[in-house]
Amino acid sequence: MKLQKWLKQLAVLAAFSTVPFLALGEDDFHIGVSVPSADHGWTAGLLWWANKAADELSEKYSNVEFTVLAANSGTAQVGDVEDLMVRQIDALVILPTNPATLQQVIAEAYHEGIYTVVVDRELEEPTQDVFLAGDNPGMGEEAAKYMAEALGEEGQIVIIEGPSIPINAQRVNAFRDELARHPDMEILDSQSGEWNPQTSLNVMEDMLARYPNIDGVWAGDDDALKGVYQAIREAGRDDIRVLVGGGGSKDVIGMIREGDYIVSGTVTYPPNMIASGMAVALHGLMGEHLGEMYHGVPSRLILAADLITVDNADEFYEPDAAY
Amino acid sequence: MTDAPIRLHGLGKRFGPVTVLRDINLDIHPGEVLGILGENGAGKSTLLKLISGVYQPSVGQIEIDGRRYDRLDPIRARQLGIAMIPQEFNLVPTLSVYENVYLGQELRRKGWLNHKQMREETARVLASLDCDLDPRAPIAALSVAEKQMVEVARVLVNDARVVILDEPTTVLTDREVEVLFKVVRALQKRGVAVLFISHKLKEVKNLCQRLLILRDGSPVELCDTANLDEEAMARKMVGRELSQVYPDKGQPQTEVALSVAGLSVAGQIDDVSFDLRRGEILGLSGLVGSGRTEIAEAIMGLRQRSAGAIHMNGKACDIRSPSDAHQQGLAYLSEDRQGRGLVMNFNLIENMTLLSLQRYVTGLISHRRERERAEHYQQAFNIRAASLKSPVGQLSGGNQQKVYLAKLLDIEPSILMLDEPTRGIDVGTKREIYRLIRQLADEGRAVLVISSELEEIIGLCDRVLVVREGRIAAELSDAQINEEDIMLYAAGARERTPAGVHS
Amino acid sequence: MTATQTFSQRLVNAVRRLPLDMTIVAPLLALIVLLIASSLASEYFLNTRNLTNILRQVSYTGIIAIGVTFVIIGGGIDLSVGSMVALVGVLLLFVLNAVGDPVLAVMVGMSAALVVGALFGLVNGLLVTRGRIAAFIATLATMSIYRSLALYLTDAGEVVSNNDIFPDIGGGYWLGIPIPVWAFFALALVGHVLLFHTPYGRHLCAVGSNEQVARYSGIRVRTVVLLSFIIAGVCVGLAAIMLSSRLNSISPSDAGVLYELDAIAAVVIGGTSLAGGRGSIWGTVIGALILGIINNMLNLLGVSPYLQGLVKGAVILIAVLMQYKRSQ
Repeated sequence: MKLQKWLKQLAVLAAFSTVPFLALGEDDFHIGVSVPSADHGWTAGLLWWANKAADELSEKYSNVEFTVLAANSGTAQVGDVEDLMVRQIDALVILPTNPATLQQVIAEAYHEGIYTVVVDRELEEPTQDVFLAGDNPGMGEEAAKYMAEALGEEGQIVIIEGPSIPINAQRVNAFRDELARHPDMEILDSQSGEWNPQTSLNVMEDMLARYPNIDGVWAGDDDALKGVYQAIREAGRDDIRVLVGGGGSKDVIGMIREGDYIVSGTVTYPPNMIASGMAVALHGLMGEHLGEMYHGVPSRLILAADLITVDNADEFYEPDAAY
Repeated sequence: MTDAPIRLHGLGKRFGPVTVLRDINLDIHPGEVLGILGENGAGKSTLLKLISGVYQPSVGQIEIDGRRYDRLDPIRARQLGIAMIPQEFNLVPTLSVYENVYLGQELRRKGWLNHKQMREETARVLASLDCDLDPRAPIAALSVAEKQMVEVARVLVNDARVVILDEPTTVLTDREVEVLFKVVRALQKRGVAVLFISHKLKEVKNLCQRLLILRDGSPVELCDTANLDEEAMARKMVGRELSQVYPDKGQPQTEVALSVAGLSVAGQIDDVSFDLRRGEILGLSGLVGSGRTEIAEAIMGLRQRSAGAIHMNGKACDIRSPSDAHQQGLAYLSEDRQGRGLVMNFNLIENMTLLSLQRYVTGLISHRRERERAEHYQQAFNIRAASLKSPVGQLSGGNQQKVYLAKLLDIEPSILMLDEPTRGIDVGTKREIYRLIRQLADEGRAVLVISSELEEIIGLCDRVLVVREGRIAAELSDAQINEEDIMLYAAGARERTPAGVHS
Repeated sequence: MTATQTFSQRLVNAVRRLPLDMTIVAPLLALIVLLIASSLASEYFLNTRNLTNILRQVSYTGIIAIGVTFVIIGGGIDLSVGSMVALVGVLLLFVLNAVGDPVLAVMVGMSAALVVGALFGLVNGLLVTRGRIAAFIATLATMSIYRSLALYLTDAGEVVSNNDIFPDIGGGYWLGIPIPVWAFFALALVGHVLLFHTPYGRHLCAVGSNEQVARYSGIRVRTVVLLSFIIAGVCVGLAAIMLSSRLNSISPSDAGVLYELDAIAAVVIGGTSLAGGRGSIWGTVIGALILGIINNMLNLLGVSPYLQGLVKGAVILIAVLMQYKRSQ
C-alpha cells in the first residue's frame, strides 16, 4: 500500500511540474518532429541535431515551440505522429522509419492541413508540402569516382552495404553504375554490414579471409567503416590502400583531417538534414521565403553529396556533434 | 537461569480478527523432549513458527538466556540456537550432503571454501548420530529418512540448543522411525532440547518427557507424559470423549465391482490379481516401496501396463487415462495430496468440481450450482474454512483431505481407491474419515484402502492384501487380519503357497 | 459518519459483487490514479481524439496480450508473437493482393490471417507439448524463424496493399470508436468468458498451477497447453489484421518488434503471475491500457525519448513489487 501512496505522490508531482509548459498563445506555432530512435550512429546524430535545432530555433523565434519524439519502430512512430496531432501541431517534420508504414498517418496529417515536411525517405504517394533529402545516388557516385581516382583507375574492391531498404539500393546501384565507367575497376563482393560496426567487423573479417588481395573498400556508412577499419588492422593486411565511408561522422572526418593511412575520404549524407527540415517547416509555416529567393519554400530539396578529403575536412568538422 | 534457557511469556498470535494462539507460558529445559499435541488447526504450527522467528508474536515475549525479545526473525533465532526441521525438507537436490549441511554457513580458509574440513565435520556429526552416510553423496540419491538425517546434521553443526521436529515420522517407515528416535535421544544426551510434534500418540508417549496439549489455540494441559495414557491424550486434544475410532465392520456383497487379473508394470509390479466386491473395504498393506501405489496407478492408467486385464462390474475395461477411469466410475485418491491431489491455489469450489466440471456446464459453467454443491459437501463433511472461496492451500491437512474426498465423490464413483487417506491428519478428523469410508461402502460402493499404518488397516478393512516386492504376498481375512500376520508377509518371513495361506 | 460508512461499505460490497477477481483491484487502482494524474498533467489528455488514439494504439499489443495471457496461465510463455505479427501480416497482404474482387479479398485475407496465426500457434504448441522443449526456448527459436521467413518472403521490403476497402477496417470507426478497439474489447469479453465460464479455462488454470494434479484429475494436459498456444496464434492473426489494415501495409523488419515484451508486460502489470495457474483477462486489458497511457503521456509531455524506457521499466517493476507485497 505504501507503493500506491508513492505512486500517487509521483503522479501529483508530475502533474504540477508540467503545468508551466502548457501556456501557448494565439499566434504561436507548434512544430512536431518525429524521428527513429537512435539505433546507430547516424540516427543518434539525427536526434542530436533535432534537439539542437529545437533549442536554437525556439530561442530565436519566441513564438515557436518544438516537440521532438523518437520511436523504436515504424508502428511506434505511427503512434507518435497520432500523439503529436492531438497536441495540435501546426507543422510536422518527419523522418519515416518505413515509408509505407507511415504513409497512411502522414497523409492524415497532411490532409488535416498540417504543414508536412518529409525528410530523407520518400513516400510512395507524395502527401507532403516539402520533401528534403540527401543525395542518395550522388553518395554512391561520388564514392565510386573517388575510389577510382585514389586507386589510379585500377583495383579490386569490396562493398560493405547497408540493410535492404530502398535508399541503400539507390546508393549501391549508383556506385556500381559509376564504377562500370572505369573498366579496370572490379567489384569482388558486396555484403550487408547493416550500417553497424559490429556486423561490419564480422563481415569484413570473412571478406579478408576469402580474398587474398583487396585494393579498396567502400563501407557506405561511417559507423560500418569503423568495424571494417578494425578488421583490416587486426588482420595486419597492407594490400588495402583506400577505405571510403559515407555519411560524414565527426570521427571519420577527424581521421581524414589527421591523414589516416587508408581512410582518406567519405561522402556527406548529413544527419543535420532534420535541422534544415525544421527550419524549412518554420519558414513555410510563416509564409516566408528562404533567403533572397523569389519563390516560396521549394517542394523538393536535395542536399548535395559532398566528397570530404583532407583538403576540405576542416569545414565539415563539428567536434560537439553526436555523429 | 541455565535451567531454562528459553522461556515463553504469554505468547499469542492474531491474524486480523482471528486469534490462533494465546497464553502460551512455557519453560524449555536443556535435554528434554517436549511433545506438542493438538488437532489440526489447534495452533501447533503457529507456536513453532513464533519460536523459530517465522511469525512475529502479537502479544507476549520470548526470553532467551535471560534476555526478552518482542520479536525474532529466522536468522536471529538460528543465531540464538533455535533450529527447525520442517516437514518438507529444504535441501538442494543437486548438491551433496556436506554442501547442504553447510549451505549458507560454508567454512572458509583464506576466503576459499574449505571442502575438506566441511566433509570431515559432516562425517563426524553424522557418526555421532549413528549414521554412516557418505558426506559426498548427492541429495537426490537419498531416501526420505536419510534426508532427514542431513537436516539434523545441518542443525547440529550450528550448535543448536533447541531443535524443532515438525511431524518428522509421517514420511518414515517403522524402521526409520526407530533410527530417528535414537537420534533424538542422542540429541537429548548432548543437552539439546527437542520440541516434537506428532499425531501419533504412541510415539509421543514413548519419546517425550513432557507434553503440551493445545486445543483451539489455547494450552489445555502441560504435564509429564507419564501422567497421561494415550486415551487421555486424545480426549484432551479433542475436548470430548472419543468413542471408538474405527466404525463397525460391514457386510460386503457378493457382487464383484473391480476385478484385476495378471496386472503387471515392467520393473514395478508383477502378476497382481484380486477382486474387490461391492460394499467391501479392501486393505492393501505392505512396506513403503512394495508397489502398493503402483498397483492403484496402473489400474488408473497412470502407469504403462505391460500385462493384465481389468473388469469393472463384469465388463472388460480398457483404462488408458484417469479420465477413462472417471468415466467408468472409478476414482483414485493419491497419497500425495498437495502434489497430485489438489490445486493449492484453487478455492474449495474449484477443487471439488475439477473432476465433475462437465456436470455443471449448460453452455457455460453454472457457478451457482457449483457453489451449492460445495456448500453441501462443506456441511456434510464438516469442512472448516474461512470461505468456500479461500485457496485450499490455506486449509489444514484434515480439511484439505475432506475437500479431496469431496472432489472424488462428486463424480459419484462406484469404486474408490484411497491411498493413505489419513496421512498427516489428527485423530478427530481421522475418525470422521473412517466413518465416511465405511458409509460409502455401506452405500454399496467398493473401496480399496492403501495404508502404511497397520492399525488403520486392521481397524478399518474387511479383507487385506499384503504386497511385497510388487506381488500380492497374502490375502488375509477375519482373524488373520492382525499386526503379526501382516508384518510377516510384508517382510517376506512367510510365503504364500499355491494352495492358500499357510505358515 | 454512519452515512458515509454505510456508503463506503456499500461501495465495497458493490465492487465485490462485480465479476472481478480481487487480483485486478491493484492494477485498476493504478489505472485510475494514472488517469487522474494524466488529465491534470496535460490539457490534451482528455481530448476525445487522444483517448481514441490511445485505445487504438493499445489495441494491437492488447489483443496479443490477451492471447499471451492464456499461454502464461497455462504455465508457458510465447516470445514469438511479435515475429508472428510480421509473418502473418505479410501472408495476409499477399493473399489480399492476389484476390481480384476487393470484398472477397478482404474476407479471404482475414480468414487466412486467423488460420495462419492458429497454425503458427500450433507449431509452437507442438514443440512444447510433443517435442517437450521448454516454452521459452521453443518460442525463442520460432521468434527467430518467423521473423526470418517474413524477411525472406519480402526481401525485407514493405508490402503495400492495393485493396481499397482494406484500410477501412483498421482505420475505420463504429459509433465513434475505432474498429481495432471494438475488436480488442470483444476479444477481451470472449477471453474472459472462456477463462472463467468454461471447463477449458478451469482446466488451463489447473494445468498451469500443478500439472501433476491436472493429470491425476483426468485433464488432457497436452491438449490444454496446445490449445493455449493456438489461442495466442489466433489473437496474433487478429492483431495482424488490425495493424496491417491500419497502416495499409506491413514492414517485415519492423512490424511487431518487441510486441512480445509489451504483451508480457501488460499481462504482468495486470496481475497474472508468470508462474502460471491464475490470471485475469481484464487485468491484462488494464495492463495494456496502463502501458499505452504512459506512452502517450510521455509523448504529450515531451519527455526525452531516451528516458521513456526508464519510466516504462519502473512501472513494470512497481507492478511486480505490488504483486509480491500482496502475495505475502
